Amino acid sequence: MFGLLNRWLGLGEGGLIEGEILGINMRNALIQKYNPRHAIERARDKVAAKRALEAAGIACTGTVAVLEDHQQVADFKPSRDMPDAWAIKPARGSQGDGILLAVRREGNTWYKGSGAALPEDMVMHHIQKVVDGGFSGDSAAEDAALIEPLIIADPALSRIVPEGLPDLRVISLHYTPLMAMVRLPTIESDGKANLHQRAIGAGIDMETGRITRAVVKGTPITHHPDTGVNLIGFEIPGWKRVLELASRCGPAVGLGYCGADIVLDVNDGPLVIEVNAHPGIEIQNICQAGLKSRIAATGEDFR
Amino acid sequence: MIGRVGQIWANATPQVRRPFYIGLAVAAVLAVLVGLGVANTETFLALPSSFEGVASSQAIWGLKPSNLLMVLPLGSFLVVLARSFIGLKAFGLFTPMLIAVAFLQIGPVMGPVVLCSSVLVGMIVTPPLLKLRMTRVGFLGVLISLIVLVLAGLQQMLDTQLQVDAFPVIVCALCVERWWKQWGKDGAKPAAKMAFNTFALALMIEFVMVSDFALALIDWSPLLMPAVTGVAIAILGRYRGLRLSEIGRFAPIWLERRRRAKAAAAEAEALPDGVEEDRREGLPDTRRVPEPERVPQPEPILEPPRLPRRAAYRKPQFRPLHRSHGMVLAALAGRAPPLDGMWVIGSRDELRPGARRRVPQIDPDRGALPRPRLVASGGRTVAEWAEEWPDDELGGRPPIHNAWVIRRVEDV
Repeated sequence: MFGLLNRWLGLGEGGLIEGEILGINMRNALIQKYNPRHAIERARDKVAAKRALEAAGIACTGTVAVLEDHQQVADFKPSRDMPDAWAIKPARGSQGDGILLAVRREGNTWYKGSGAALPEDMVMHHIQKVVDGGFSGDSAAEDAALIEPLIIADPALSRIVPEGLPDLRVISLHYTPLMAMVRLPTIESDGKANLHQRAIGAGIDMETGRITRAVVKGTPITHHPDTGVNLIGFEIPGWKRVLELASRCGPAVGLGYCGADIVLDVNDGPLVIEVNAHPGIEIQNICQAGLKSRIAATGEDFR
Repeated sequence: MIGRVGQIWANATPQVRRPFYIGLAVAAVLAVLVGLGVANTETFLALPSSFEGVASSQAIWGLKPSNLLMVLPLGSFLVVLARSFIGLKAFGLFTPMLIAVAFLQIGPVMGPVVLCSSVLVGMIVTPPLLKLRMTRVGFLGVLISLIVLVLAGLQQMLDTQLQVDAFPVIVCALCVERWWKQWGKDGAKPAAKMAFNTFALALMIEFVMVSDFALALIDWSPLLMPAVTGVAIAILGRYRGLRLSEIGRFAPIWLERRRRAKAAAAEAEALPDGVEEDRREGLPDTRRVPEPERVPQPEPILEPPRLPRRAAYRKPQFRPLHRSHGMVLAALAGRAPPLDGMWVIGSRDELRPGARRRVPQIDPDRGALPRPRLVASGGRTVAEWAEEWPDDELGGRPPIHNAWVIRRVEDV
């Protein structure tokens, strides 16, 4: 009777491997199997993840400072310690909450991309709020503020977007990159590379690094709506390096199944910004290919 | 329409069919149980005070108040089903069943009325409350007193006793809080959808709880219900196939593939004589449209073009530099001079047109670079916590540029 039930539920011999699309149930099972608790915690904390990545020799975005408690915040003076262009991120923030970007500096005043001024006390107030845990979900009472130099996108990529920083998402299982997409900001998405905010998701061919398909909110497109550049066939510069970085990210943090967020810097080429322990499955709709069949091709038995 | 659905169905893969059957089966069983529960309801509109001291769950459905606890295992079972087979997302795992308990205590119609009115009031007062910048505990406290205020007002208005105890009040307050958090995270529409799902799930749990089946199970032995649901969750909770909602979500993949296959098949079969245009639906459009002009693509270069033979070898001239020349000074200091305005060509590939060339980066004296500091005023430096920070003077690299320096055309 138990065997019958298992077969009916698709848990029998062939039932687990069959099929092409990875559903959320199966994704959760994979995460439970391969991503240990402590590694997920580490991936969630940007500072800890960055330390682990750098220890493994993976190129990450630079660091200006890490402010972990109020003592350090009190000793920090933006006019003395901050470069001309920077990004402040909460270590445990989610979905881009609490990220502040400055693109240029005049005297002791910085300016956001939109042109709004950021005087020194405003910067300090933001840092204070980050360290107080104001952007860190519900659980954390305290958080660390991570200050990084601003990343300027590779000109090949920044040419096709009106504003904002495009980023690549590569999903990999152990050392095998499985599927990749690039998220291109639009004016409608306010320069954010977030698919929910109508940024473009573009599927990338794993072998050649060329864009095969671009989607905005479920509608396929061929050209960027704001710049009019043809996206199909666009080749990501330094694709081999991207794959190499992506394949080493997960094991460096301790994750078996992960999604690496990679940006292309104008000077340093591909850099890892974040490793995600719970990567979404929307990428299948964007690449129009199933993750499950690719995972099965690596020899995974889904038990 | 039906034929079309049938056609799609015939082409569906087993990965789609199985979850569809399972989801439909789960939905059908739930619908039957809910129907039984609704049929079992004796009165819908009665107010709790009209039962003369008898608990409303007992008076309306014959469910003893001591058995209200049985809602919890049943509720969690139903939430698991709805979540992993159908894909309904609700506020948390426990909220729907807590709401269901509240509904059972107040009544099938009055329950939702009380819940909706108190949640509505909570939603209206939350924005000004958030502006006061209270802590979470303070916020919840204010919310609870407000909800009790609304409940007391409702009792006075309806001239009845709602028999509301502490439990539903807390549930209402938590609902409001969850709603606001979700709103802030995802926006109004997904949050409203989730709230609706929670509400629907709570109603479903309520009516499944009072169906003949569940009541008989409890009557038989109170131990039976938790045992049965526990075993059922343990078996069904291992389901790893697609959810019913995901079939719709990923349908474009299958549909697109089918369309392409069809197009490829149609292309293979030739058009009948005298027909030049193919305008059938779902097939590639072969109407004569002036083809868009092809964008000239740069031709791939297979091998670097052979360079003409250079002029005869000239012996490099030795030209002494002045003592104060930058290169001399740099050589004296034991470092290579900074290169600027030049390309560094490290390999043959970089000579190809369009290749990315490295601009020489002056490797400054790393010791003189200001180290990133954790604490600005002379605290720990990064090097103290990051062992991998290169500590040696030259960053582990020889001070020689291993490259060809090109200054003139003849150098190439």
